[in-house]
Amino acid sequence: MSNSKKVYSAFLVLVATWCAGIVLAPLLVSSEPRISSLLYSFYAPICHQIDGRSLHADGAKLAVCARCSGIYFSFLVSLLIYPALQRLASPAIPNRWWLSIALLPMAVDVVLNVMGIHPSSIVTRTFTGICFGAVLPFYLLPPLVEAVTQLQTRLHLRGGLLYARKAQQI
Amino acid sequence: MLEKPNKFRVALISGVVIGAVSGIPGISLINCCCCAGVWLGGLMAMYLYKQQFAEGMAPMESSDALILGLMSGVVGAFVATLTSVFILLVFGPVEAEFVKSIFEKVVERMAESGSVPSDLVDQLKDQLDQSIRDSARVSGIFGSLFITLILYPIFAILGALLGYAIFRPKAPPQTTQPQ
Repeated sequence: MSNSKKVYSAFLVLVATWCAGIVLAPLLVSSEPRISSLLYSFYAPICHQIDGRSLHADGAKLAVCARCSGIYFSFLVSLLIYPALQRLASPAIPNRWWLSIALLPMAVDVVLNVMGIHPSSIVTRTFTGICFGAVLPFYLLPPLVEAVTQLQTRLHLRGGLLYARKAQQI
Repeated sequence: MLEKPNKFRVALISGVVIGAVSGIPGISLINCCCCAGVWLGGLMAMYLYKQQFAEGMAPMESSDALILGLMSGVVGAFVATLTSVFILLVFGPVEAEFVKSIFEKVVERMAESGSVPSDLVDQLKDQLDQSIRDSARVSGIFGSLFITLILYPIFAILGALLGYAIFRPKAPPQTTQPQ
């Protein structure tokens, strides 16, 4: 397995686990209340978790709000289809303007809501979150793969130097 | 070729910013949007790091973003916890009371609309009071530090990688050898 595939797989597992936690929190409310409560506490520092602004599963709110859910789940889906759209080893990062365009609907939704022009709803929050989350892997995965490869190379070089020094001492 | 700039100073500055943003009541609400304060801290770290590069230095690499994000996140988690403890000791549970007031309003509105039974409202209020009491305990503070030590480095790394994608040096144009 190539290095880029290993990094991709590890990242995918991490993101999938993250998203699983979001869904498991409401699903475990009745059967495993302690685990469910722990999961809600874990996600609490990163989301307001307001019931009226969250998607629900099995009658309880997800561990994060609708906008955050949109971001994380679209991130996961985008990451899943990533290899079909771009080579994993490719260091190419899209133009930063695409990131701004993806962020624009969310900014417009928030601004219109704050100004009282158009109230944001669950649908707009989820949709704008999806727009942003879907493009993020294309900006994050290439530098992540590159970074891990660089660090591994440095560690191998250091290991090789240490081995050579020890060999010289013997 | 000159050595790259020191990461520690940048990590310390961005870590303090992350900690202050996350620890000061009111401002910390920015983290309610997918840890935006921590993301922005990682992004800021990469911007500051880029500013320190001078001509003749080795170029900025993505591994720098990874390390810088990790360092900023760890510093940020400690600073945020220390800030929260300081505010808790000096002003009392200001943030918890603020969240409680919002929560009570939401729950009461839900009870009025009939979506939540009245006995559950009391139960929820008791749970919130309990969690406020827990957050002021030493175990609550360490629990919070433990969670932030996991979350902040992750989001700061993501912010720094995003920062690298935005601020990375442009690849030099490929020159073709004359035949």
